Amino acid sequence: MSEHAEMRRGRKATMARRTRRLGLALALAAGSAVLIPGHADALPPGFAKIGMVCTPGSVSGTTHTFNLIANTGYADTPDGNSIFMWSYANRDAPDNDHFQSPGPVLCVTEGETVVVNLTNTLPEPASIVFPGQEAVTAAGGSAGLLTTEAAASGGTVSYSFTAGNPGTYLYQSGSDQAKQVEMGLYGALIVRPNSTTCPVVAGTACAYGAATRFNPGREYLLLLSEIDPVLHHAVETNGTYDINARRARYFTINGREFPDTLQDNGTALQPNQPYGSLVKIQPNTPTNTQPALIRMINAGLLNHPFHPHGNHTTQIAQDGRSVARTEHFGETIGSGQTLDYLIRWDDQDQWDPTSNPLPVPQPNYRNLTFKDGNTFYSGTPYLGYKGTLPTGTVSQNVCGEWYFPWHSHALNEFANFDEAFGGMATLLRVDPPGGCFAGPTGTTIVGGVLKGGTFAALAVDDAAYYQVNPKTTTRPTATTIGATTITVASASGFPTSGTYYIRIDNEVMQVTGGQGTTTWTVARGQLGTTAATHATGATVTALANDWYASFTGVPTGASNIKVTYKGKNCSNTTGTTCSALTLNLPQQTVKICNWTIAGAAGCSSSTSAGWVTLPAPPAQPQGVGSTLEVSSTWTLPGAGTAYVGTGTYKGQVRILVHTQRWTAPSPTAFSTWGNLMKIVYDAP
Amino acid sequence: MDHRQGGVLGWDQIAPSRRDFLKAAGVGVLFTTVAGGVVGGLGRGLRPASAATQTLSLVATDGYATVPGRENDPLYIFGFHDVTSDPDQSVSHLVSQYKGHTQMSAPTLDFLQNDDMKITLTNLGLVQRPDLTDSHTIHWHGFDIPSPLNDGVPEVSVAVPIGKQLTYFYRPHREGTYMWHCHFEDVEHVQMGMTGIVFVRPLQDGTSVGGFTKFAYNDGDGSTGYHRHFAILLNEVWSNFHDGDRDIQESIATDYEPQWFTLNGRTYPQTTLPNDHHGEASGITTPNPNYDDAPDVSQPNSSLVQVNPGERVLLRLANLGYQQHAMQLPGIPLHVIGQDASLLRDGTTDLSYVTNTLYIGPGEARDVLFDAPAYDAARPSGSGPGARGPYNVYYFKNRDWRRLSSLGSPGPGGSPSGMMTEVRVYQNPLPAQQYVSQTYV
Repeated sequence: MSEHAEMRRGRKATMARRTRRLGLALALAAGSAVLIPGHADALPPGFAKIGMVCTPGSVSGTTHTFNLIANTGYADTPDGNSIFMWSYANRDAPDNDHFQSPGPVLCVTEGETVVVNLTNTLPEPASIVFPGQEAVTAAGGSAGLLTTEAAASGGTVSYSFTAGNPGTYLYQSGSDQAKQVEMGLYGALIVRPNSTTCPVVAGTACAYGAATRFNPGREYLLLLSEIDPVLHHAVETNGTYDINARRARYFTINGREFPDTLQDNGTALQPNQPYGSLVKIQPNTPTNTQPALIRMINAGLLNHPFHPHGNHTTQIAQDGRSVARTEHFGETIGSGQTLDYLIRWDDQDQWDPTSNPLPVPQPNYRNLTFKDGNTFYSGTPYLGYKGTLPTGTVSQNVCGEWYFPWHSHALNEFANFDEAFGGMATLLRVDPPGGCFAGPTGTTIVGGVLKGGTFAALAVDDAAYYQVNPKTTTRPTATTIGATTITVASASGFPTSGTYYIRIDNEVMQVTGGQGTTTWTVARGQLGTTAATHATGATVTALANDWYASFTGVPTGASNIKVTYKGKNCSNTTGTTCSALTLNLPQQTVKICNWTIAGAAGCSSSTSAGWVTLPAPPAQPQGVGSTLEVSSTWTLPGAGTAYVGTGTYKGQVRILVHTQRWTAPSPTAFSTWGNLMKIVYDAP
Repeated sequence: MDHRQGGVLGWDQIAPSRRDFLKAAGVGVLFTTVAGGVVGGLGRGLRPASAATQTLSLVATDGYATVPGRENDPLYIFGFHDVTSDPDQSVSHLVSQYKGHTQMSAPTLDFLQNDDMKITLTNLGLVQRPDLTDSHTIHWHGFDIPSPLNDGVPEVSVAVPIGKQLTYFYRPHREGTYMWHCHFEDVEHVQMGMTGIVFVRPLQDGTSVGGFTKFAYNDGDGSTGYHRHFAILLNEVWSNFHDGDRDIQESIATDYEPQWFTLNGRTYPQTTLPNDHHGEASGITTPNPNYDDAPDVSQPNSSLVQVNPGERVLLRLANLGYQQHAMQLPGIPLHVIGQDASLLRDGTTDLSYVTNTLYIGPGEARDVLFDAPAYDAARPSGSGPGARGPYNVYYFKNRDWRRLSSLGSPGPGGSPSGMMTEVRVYQNPLPAQQYVSQTYV
């Protein structure tokens, strides 16, 4: 074998190894929420999985106290390295000194007295300086070069200052900075404006004054830094290190390198690096107008030219001071600087596969490359839609959301040591407006009969309807006034359990037994009607219809599920046009399947126990006639665990529509016309 | 076969009917500008029904370029190359004609706001490295609200493998100066040469505002008007990636220590030689070892700034190196009026600034105006080329003298090398500029 061929093989083998590694990392990134449902090390209870997480500290009056410890631990890198680090950790429960890199995010309010108590377990004096905060005083400890220091191996010091100008700040060691800051002794200090600087407006917060409002659910911290593993190894092994020979090999955001940066906050995969940096936004809409806030800090020694793909960011501040607004697709953040940005997603073209398609043919994806056979791409260029990817391509895409990298454009920093597509990078994730959404993948009538249409009619708000009539059958024999058992020609389409109402002529009866058979036990003269005789062959009509729509593919971990149903009721049970129904409106109740009550059996029939009435607002039942199509959206706040099926029913959500009409003394017919049914949720 | 490369694409290829349209459309926009008094977001989201559609065809492949100290050992490069004018766009034809002959830096793309751009990329593969099956993409760096499909990041969308084509689509609503590059293994492919400038002319172009008819932005007041414009891309070149890719060796990205510093893919004084398109010729050729050292014209983009006294000049600057650069034009103040395809204005507050030292980081763009001084026979000067006659010379250069060297050494006779070019102010009038970065021979 020639030397040339040998080298060639070596290169191929290296590339294949990289490919596997990246593929694994990406799979873990997307799968973490599924596999490990949150890990609370170094994070407060109930922390958000995505976005900036503050360490609470304790507040007493106007004094905000944090208890920190300087300690040692290890940070993992995506290429399998483990780096010895120094950092600050939170002494308070539940963290209890759990090592974390970078240090806790300290969030305080303008004007508060901030007290930071530091205990130093490192083998040399350590301290904290707060660049941008004035008149910091110290109690205990002993004087150092830049500030008062806590003695080695257990010394303490307490710093105190009045939180100054709102903004984003760095805190870091003030002792032997060439070593200690590089080793990891830094963190973020966030000063929030008080209500004088930022008058309260519900659903918003300010970075600075009222002109800097943002959506508090979209607040992100990107703390940049660098690691030269040679220095860390030297410190770990008491070796020597030439600071002038420093060459950073790892470039971090919030203490992690890409693709680990995509992992949730608190992922168990990185027990000492609690902060993710995925940036998640939604397009702005008339009801969703606030931008996201990006707080960027450079704790490293190098300047970093940070490039946000996807949209310009608007810089609003530098070093905790508002500045005139400038827009950027690349901006260098200097060593030690902080920059604050707002970002909005205002889609001017609104490309849509049917109403506004891109004016070029869509590619045959089998002719293209999906790098490493593993992609965040949805399979279509359209937001909120998913397409078909070639066989063998693994998709990390949940519901057609978009991803764009945000990274250092000093591309040598866009790498983990020697592996590209790593380092100082994260992803911007753009969800569809309002969140991920899904339309029904099927419908099932559990009380009633199909009048017309298919479940596909429920996908969009248009002139196509999914129509259901209450079920009817006949009595083969005459009915006496006193009969409490009646036989019907067919029970098909009537509820198979529970009590329900039927009507024969103008009398309403309640079926109390024999459900699912053709011989029913009934209570006579219900709902204000009077028991009467009925002739042979009389029609038996259910007073209600019940049907549910099924949604599939909803991810485990979906939260804040919103259910929207829009429909009407008409007075005719045949024909293709809707006959007016304006009086004695049918009463509509929309329910969701809670799979934890009785599993799939709990949502099998119209009266099964698992159906939970969707909570107000709007209150239910609602009167729904033909004049206006009633559109309602119910929200189920918090985790959607109970509403997303598992096992055989994994990823299924079921929504039941129950509509009932009774009108003493002369009940009349109706039909239900469903126009739109959808669910929207926050993907994990 | 002539492997002379096209250098500027777009504007000068537009049919006359479209120019007529621009004049018509521009009037309406001007009215909007003046009436609204607001510049940010002007014209965005609105697209005249008659806006034009433009089609480009680009190929990606490998080749060689010349850098000082490596005249007999040319630098292995990857690059983009324009083949729009070839009547045969079949992959097989493109492979047979263009594979193995590329250029450093990529063609400058010149588009008009709100026009539709359809850019077909064909991956021809690599002659030097048949074993390396790298895909390629087009990433329009800074483009707002793209679909991931058109953002060109392979990990979050798709890439174009060897022998395949993909048509990218853009409707740019935001005028200004951007850059474009391959995003496939971009740590490597950007360094290998797959970088260029793309700019979007404002709808205000073609109208008369403040004495100008060409503008950097929809400024409403002519404050970004210019007579001539020049697109200059800053890069560094690090031999490890180039030689490593040629010789099948690994490169460690974090070892990055570039030895050459380029403007539009050339070092001084080659930066001042003419373009290799529109009938111009630089005379810079590189022997292509994969084609029996036949000469390739692989560095077609000049950085020479030839102007008349008193003209207002727009420099469209972008940095796709990995390092920040401090650029100076001694003797002429630099008026920075835009950055990152954004007019430097916050509401009605003018944020433009005058500087003598322009910092520009990787991935950043700047729009800089300057006024050409009067011709002064007493100043340092040169003459030519040809019968152009005398000119005053000003140097647009990196302030860091280490970046005025190549392979750690200055140019012949100790003269500067690296990241420098010349602004030449002519005594005898130059004709009006026909396209960006036009050179006159």
